[in-house]
Amino acid sequence: MLEVSEVTKVYGARTVVKGVSFSVSKGEILGFLGPNGAGKTTTMRIITGYVPPSGGTAKVAGFDVQEQPLEVKKRIGYLPEHPPLYREMLVRPYLEFVARIRGVPRRQMRARVDRAIERCGLGEVRGRLIGLLSKGYQQRVGLAQAILHEPDLLILDEPTVGLDPSQIREIRSLIKSFAGEHTVILSTHILAEVTMTCHRVLIINDGRIAAEDTLERLAARGERTRQVALRLARPGDGAEAALRALPGVAAVTAQGGAPAGFVVEAADGQDAREAIAALAVARGWGLLEMRPITRSLEDIFIEIIRESAA
Amino acid sequence: MRNIAAIAWREARTYFTSPLAYAVTGVFVLLSGYIFWASLVRFSELCLRFASNPYFSSQLNVNDMVVRPLFGTMGIIFLLMIPVITMRLLAEERRTGTAEMLFTCPVTSGQVVLGKFLGAAMLLLFMLAVTLTYPLLIMGSGAKPDMKPTLVGYLGVLLMGLAFLAIGLLISAMTENQIIAAVGAFGALLMLWVIDWMSESATITLAAVMNTLSMGLWEKAGFGTGGPTLGGLLSSASLIAHFQDFRKGLLDTRHVVFYLSVVFMALFVTQRVLESRRWR
Repeated sequence: MLEVSEVTKVYGARTVVKGVSFSVSKGEILGFLGPNGAGKTTTMRIITGYVPPSGGTAKVAGFDVQEQPLEVKKRIGYLPEHPPLYREMLVRPYLEFVARIRGVPRRQMRARVDRAIERCGLGEVRGRLIGLLSKGYQQRVGLAQAILHEPDLLILDEPTVGLDPSQIREIRSLIKSFAGEHTVILSTHILAEVTMTCHRVLIINDGRIAAEDTLERLAARGERTRQVALRLARPGDGAEAALRALPGVAAVTAQGGAPAGFVVEAADGQDAREAIAALAVARGWGLLEMRPITRSLEDIFIEIIRESAA
Repeated sequence: MRNIAAIAWREARTYFTSPLAYAVTGVFVLLSGYIFWASLVRFSELCLRFASNPYFSSQLNVNDMVVRPLFGTMGIIFLLMIPVITMRLLAEERRTGTAEMLFTCPVTSGQVVLGKFLGAAMLLLFMLAVTLTYPLLIMGSGAKPDMKPTLVGYLGVLLMGLAFLAIGLLISAMTENQIIAAVGAFGALLMLWVIDWMSESATITLAAVMNTLSMGLWEKAGFGTGGPTLGGLLSSASLIAHFQDFRKGLLDTRHVVFYLSVVFMALFVTQRVLESRRWR
C-alpha cells in the first residue's frame, strides 16, 4: 500500500529526515512513535505530497508522490496536526466542500457526508459554526474530513491531542474500526496510544528510524531482563551476603523497608530463581514475593531513543 | 471544473457569511453614491441655470457630467479596497493550516488559483451590480443618459477590478501575513497606477537606454536610437491609463487585451508561486 524508501528532507542547514524507509501493507495500522521534533510530521507531509522530499521516494498504491501527485492524493485521507478547518463555516457545508474537492461523486455525496458525521459522532453539531466548537469536536470534524471519501490510506498526525479521556477512547476505537479495509498511519508521542491501536510500531528519533517492530516483539524485549525482585518477611543480617554467594547471582541490592526488599541480578544466561527460593525456604526468611522485573514499553521506548541518540 | 467551482463558491460564501462583503460593499456604495449624488445635483443646477440658453443647455451632457466622474471614483475606491478583499485569499489559508488540506486534496494549484480568483470576482460583481441603480436613477429623473457609453464604462471598471484582484491574489500567495498581503497589494497597485506620471518627462528613448547600457554597441549594431520613449513604455504599463478610454465610453480592444493580459499574467505567476513550494 505504502512504500517509503530513503526519504530525506533538508530545510536550509537542518536535515529533518535522514533517510527513512519503511512499508505498510493493506489493512495495517502503523504507529509512528517519537519525541517531539523527531521528524514524524515532516515524514507524513512528504507521504501526502504537501512537502516534497529532498531525496528518496514515497509510493502510495504504486504511484509516486512526486510523479503522480493527483493519483496519490485521490487515495489518501489526511488529518494534519492542526485540524484544517474553516472556522467561519458550518460543519455540514464544510464537509460537503471537502467531499467535493476530494472528488466524491455527486450522487454519493449526501450518503458519504452523513456517514462521516455519524462515524465521528458529529450529529449534534452538524449545523454549528466550526469556530465555536470545542477542541474535541473540532478534532472530530478534522477526522471526519479525512475519512469521508473512504480513502485507502489514512494518515493521522497526533489524532488524539487535546481530547478528554473518553473522547480519546472513542477516537481510538474509531481508528481501530478502519483496520482491514483501510490502511492507517498514525503518529503520536503517547505510548499508550500505540499500545491500544496499532499492529506495528515505528520508532523514529532525530530523523531516523530507531526501531521497527510489532508490539508483541517490542514488549518481549522488556521481558528479557535478568533482575528479580524479592520481598522477605524475616531476612537475617546475612541475607544479602548469602544471596550474593548463590551460584549464578551477579549482584544484590538491598532496598530496605519492611518487609525487606531486594533486587537480585542474575549473571548472563543464568536463572537463579530456583536457587533463591530454595535458599529462602532453607533459612526460613519467609519468602513473600518473587517476581521478574520486566520493563514497561515506556522504558523500552526511552531506551531505544537513548540508544539511537548515542 | 468542478473543483474550481467548489473553491470559488466556498470563497464567495466566506465573503458573504463574514462582515467583510457587507463592509466593503457598504463603503463602496456610500462613497460612489455620494459622488454620484453630488455630480447629479450639480448637473441639475446647471440645467436650471442655463435652461433659458439653448446653446449652453445643449452642451450639458449627463454622461460627461455624472457618469464619467462616477467611474473615475469607482476606480479609486477599488484601488483602496481590493487589497482588503484579496489579502486573506491565500495568506489565511496558509496561516490557519487549511492549506495543508487544500494541497493534499486531488486538486491542482491552477484550480486553486482560478477558484480563489473567481470567488473574489463574485464579490466584485456584486459590488458593481449594486451601483447599477445609479444609471437607473438618472433615467428615472428624466435625463436621458446614453446607455452604451455607460455600459462600456462598467466593462472598464470590471476589467480594471479583475486586474486588481489578480495582482492582490498574487501578493497574497507570497505571505502568510494578511496585513503584509494587504500593504503589498496596495503598494503594487498604487505603483502601477502612478507609473505613467513619468510619461511626460521621461523622453529618453528605450534605444538610447539600451545604447548606454551596452556601451555604444546597440547603435553600432544598427538598431538605431529612435523608437518608443521610456515614458511611453511606462505609461502603457499603467493600470489607470488604459481605463481613461473606457470612462469616455470608448471601447478599444487594446485596453481590453491589456487588462486580460494583466489578469492572466498575475494568475500565472500566482500559480508558479504556489508550485514553488515544491522546490523550496
